[in-house]
Amino acid sequence: MAPPTLDAVLTGLARDNATGSVRVGKEGTVYLTRGRVSYAESATTPGIEELLTASGRITATGVRGVRQASGPEADGGDLLVNKGVLSRGELEFSALGATLDASFFLLRSGAPRCRFKDGDTHWLGAHWFFDIPGLFRECERRTEQLERTWPSAELDDRPVVPVERLGGGHVLLTAHQWELLVAADSTATPVDLARRLGRPAYATLLAVRELAAAGLLAVQAEVDAPALPKRKAAGPARDTPARPRPPQADPTDVNLLIRLRDALEAL
Amino acid sequence: MIGIEGCLSEVMSIPGALDAILVEPISGMAILGKGVPDPVRSAAGLTETFRAALEGVAMASPEGTVRIDDMIITTETSYHLIRPIEMAVQGTLLICLRMDLERSNLALARRRLCTITDQLTDQLTAQSTAQSTAQ
Repeated sequence: MAPPTLDAVLTGLARDNATGSVRVGKEGTVYLTRGRVSYAESATTPGIEELLTASGRITATGVRGVRQASGPEADGGDLLVNKGVLSRGELEFSALGATLDASFFLLRSGAPRCRFKDGDTHWLGAHWFFDIPGLFRECERRTEQLERTWPSAELDDRPVVPVERLGGGHVLLTAHQWELLVAADSTATPVDLARRLGRPAYATLLAVRELAAAGLLAVQAEVDAPALPKRKAAGPARDTPARPRPPQADPTDVNLLIRLRDALEAL
Repeated sequence: MIGIEGCLSEVMSIPGALDAILVEPISGMAILGKGVPDPVRSAAGLTETFRAALEGVAMASPEGTVRIDDMIITTETSYHLIRPIEMAVQGTLLICLRMDLERSNLALARRRLCTITDQLTDQLTAQSTAQSTAQ
């Protein structure tokens, strides 16, 4: 018999009003507090530790210190607030953001083996609560939003490669899109970039799809193009990675110009 | 210092408030609403409004980029106030408030939103926070 999906496991635990953690294969962990999700972490998305470090408010060592100092009652979040690292509202906002980001990827991860550990808590503590149906609805909305933005998952797992030249003369970017393009080194995937920038993986995926829809990313056909065509007998050197496009002229335009010149000369 | 729920209660206590919603504008997610019939729909619409304003105003500015402090939209019956807040760890949060045109005071509401923003991100001194919480 196939193992129950994460959806089914969480729905069951919500019915039982459970408190504890669900380990989702090797993908991550969902923490429940009295039947509601209070935190989630995923191997794919930056967790609260990475987000805190990336914000520059606290060092990685600082986060480790707080984590170790947090007691069995999981008061790590309160310690961060008391130390003045971030405000109560910012703590709640980042906990809920990280939880949704991780849940989105965990719920997409098929049916890995889930193991429930009763009474287990995350060191940060519980600062925001998602009821299970609400969490599922939001993850569904996010999936639809990705599809609406750019209906292809083609670029989701590939290195982000910006086009070398704009199709037009002007482009408008959001702050997140800008960061993404600056950080893109043609080897990092959207998930790699999210981690590097300390941004939610979902937001990065969405930005990648927006950039793709705007024609600012090289799609795979173009990335592969230099490798695919066979070398011609006496073709030009093909080893340069930059591929300046030959000027495309319409022959009818040339004819028109010749006729124009002739007409002008005849005057 | 107030949390997210406290922030929404404070916003709804502004004179003339009809409904309010907190939105995460990058994913377009409704975080918490009060008096809003369809939070998902409102969040999507307000995110679009905010983003369109950012892009449009950026194009109309000589610098080509802008930071919006707040947006005020006046309709036949109400004011919509949208205020982005820079949060330390996860980017921006939008406070969106709809107020009755007749029963509200725009200047007062903007000042209150400013104070609430500071309380949410802990920009006030400990003393003035204590005072405003006591109110």
